[in-house]
Amino acid sequence: MNYQFDFSPVIAGMPELLRGCLGTLGLAAAGMVLAIIIGIGGVVVRESKVKLLRWLVISFVELIRNTPFLVQIYFIFFALPLAGVRLSPTPTAVIALGVNGGAYAIEIIRGGVQSVNKGQVEAGLALGLRRLQVFRLIVLKPALRAIYPSLASQFILLTLTTSIASAVAAYELTSVAKLIENESFRSFEVYFTVTVLYLIMSWLMMKFLALVGWRYLTYPVK
Amino acid sequence: MGRNELLFLLQGLKWTIILSVVAFAGGTVSGLAVALTRTSEWPWLQRVTAGYIAVFQGTPLLMQLFVVYYALALAGFNLEAWQAVAIGFTLHASAFLGEIWRGSIEAVPRGQVEAAKALNLDYVSRMKDVILPQAIRISLPATIGFLVQLIKGTSLASIVGFTELARAGGIISNQTFKPLLVYAVVGVMYFAICWPLSLCGMQLERRFAVSA
Amino acid sequence: MKRTSRPSRRSLLTGGVALIAAPMILGRSALAITTDEVKKRGKIIVGIQGDNPPWGFVNSTGVQEGFDADVAALYAKELSVRPEFVPLEVANRIPALTAGRVDCLFATMAMFPDRAKAVQFSKPYVANIIVLIAPKATEIKTNADMGKLKAIAVPRASAQDTQVTRNAPPGTNILRLDGDAVAIQAMLSGQVDAVGGNMFYKDRLNEAKPGTFEDKLEFQRIYNGVCTRLHEKEINASINAFIDKIKANGELAKIHEKWMKLPLPTSFPDSIEGVPFVAS
Repeated sequence: MNYQFDFSPVIAGMPELLRGCLGTLGLAAAGMVLAIIIGIGGVVVRESKVKLLRWLVISFVELIRNTPFLVQIYFIFFALPLAGVRLSPTPTAVIALGVNGGAYAIEIIRGGVQSVNKGQVEAGLALGLRRLQVFRLIVLKPALRAIYPSLASQFILLTLTTSIASAVAAYELTSVAKLIENESFRSFEVYFTVTVLYLIMSWLMMKFLALVGWRYLTYPVK
Repeated sequence: MGRNELLFLLQGLKWTIILSVVAFAGGTVSGLAVALTRTSEWPWLQRVTAGYIAVFQGTPLLMQLFVVYYALALAGFNLEAWQAVAIGFTLHASAFLGEIWRGSIEAVPRGQVEAAKALNLDYVSRMKDVILPQAIRISLPATIGFLVQLIKGTSLASIVGFTELARAGGIISNQTFKPLLVYAVVGVMYFAICWPLSLCGMQLERRFAVSA
Repeated sequence: MKRTSRPSRRSLLTGGVALIAAPMILGRSALAITTDEVKKRGKIIVGIQGDNPPWGFVNSTGVQEGFDADVAALYAKELSVRPEFVPLEVANRIPALTAGRVDCLFATMAMFPDRAKAVQFSKPYVANIIVLIAPKATEIKTNADMGKLKAIAVPRASAQDTQVTRNAPPGTNILRLDGDAVAIQAMLSGQVDAVGGNMFYKDRLNEAKPGTFEDKLEFQRIYNGVCTRLHEKEINASINAFIDKIKANGELAKIHEKWMKLPLPTSFPDSIEGVPFVAS
């Protein structure tokens, strides 16, 4: 073959690539926090007595889940300045990731809340606890146990989705990879190495999240 | 945005659909092979397939496309852009569908497998006549859900320069200078194909949950 | 049924090694191309820009047009084949050529020494000016002023990318976006304060918001060449002969007038430092 493999630009760029990994993880974490906030908010609004509000949440979820993230992030990237908000690409990406993750989080959290036996809630109310206390003391932990695996998967998925944020030049691993590709023209070597880096990141995250789940959410066996 | 621009977007939509159909068809065939090897009796084969699935599930689709796109060219295959991208999507689909169907094959009640073995059916007949029909029925909601993900995923082909719907949107928004309008229309087009499928999947899921 | 095992480190390693080895094993590629092979094939695969008018763009009916398209079509006629255009993103041009996806690039390829290490340029056939464009109200008089801006957009891996990166003070926020279209949109939507472009950006921007934009800084006058892969002497020689021919018989000037609305530069440099015109 005429093509000579040359990984040296990739090896030379490794410190920058690792910093890009941190950027990816940071984006994913910030996005996930926003997603969970939107998720909880969405679930609460969805239980509202006002039909319009319920319908808004349902439409939001369906819209986000049935359109590509690339289109969503371009839309937000070009829409925000028109609304007078000038944000650099990385915060823009956080918003896009949060909105996208939020739609899925709404469904996951809703499923978890619904999975708690209605009898438990009724018992709590019968004992004189207020709704908020019932939620905090009776519903929350079992619901969390139920949804933790799905939320953990969603977090890993969100981390992989951050690579699309490179389209608006947010600071993460894929953007760094593209820069190195520009300077070295070694496309295959760069993207192959970056793929391995993503694999390592998602594997480490999977192990870490499993550990957290085991530590905090397994049923205590006395 | 006039008729010509809308037609250009619809052309992009056409390519999105073609790419999705080809990837789904290819992914179905190879996904079945992946699922079967993943549930086979040989641990070595199981582990290699598990590794294959783990790679595709643990890396971004964009990276998978880039690597396949460049690797194919370097290996000497002189393919058109959409063909290279279609192969990338097919491999991606094969891993995810393989994992979904692995789950549904394992979800078929043990009794069915034992009964089939007791009736002295060989592996091919056991799979073809007893297990797979039930497994596929169980897997329908998840499979349809993945199809929606695949259609959305084709938007990434735009970053390697292939003119499907998302890239057509970029080009037109640059000619009309109305990015919000154009991307909104593009979003609506994706929604129009994906949402009916999602609804279908949700209905099936509800029906199976009731009958279970 | 036995519980299927989770992916082990070993299986991932095997997968990784196989992935690396595959390209090397999968075969000897015929990346080198000659004009005879092109003629036998009946078509020449030309990498071109898809959304950079007037150089190369796909119009709203899906047809490739532009200055580069006309010149490439003329070259194809010279070889008695038809041109097959592959629209490429700015950052994808050189990778597409080196990976064998296209035979040559008529893609607004500015002739820089670092690019010349990766691809072979032909003689220059057209000139371009790389500039910084911003709204008239924005104050940018010197290179140092770029550091005061909140953000500058450039298409990734373009000549503008190189120029802005080189000339802007360290710490300037440069957004490298995927393509001319996105960079222009970023300027129009106000996401950035200035955009690095070629001499035609101003017109494109003013088409959307008449009278708003002007060229602020001129970085460099550059020349574009046709690109082929390194060490492919035959096709490089063929293209150089073709460029000489169309300069001499006025065809190039005609195409230039049509798209640029300007006369062709009267002279082109005989050599550009760091950029050989002839393959070795």
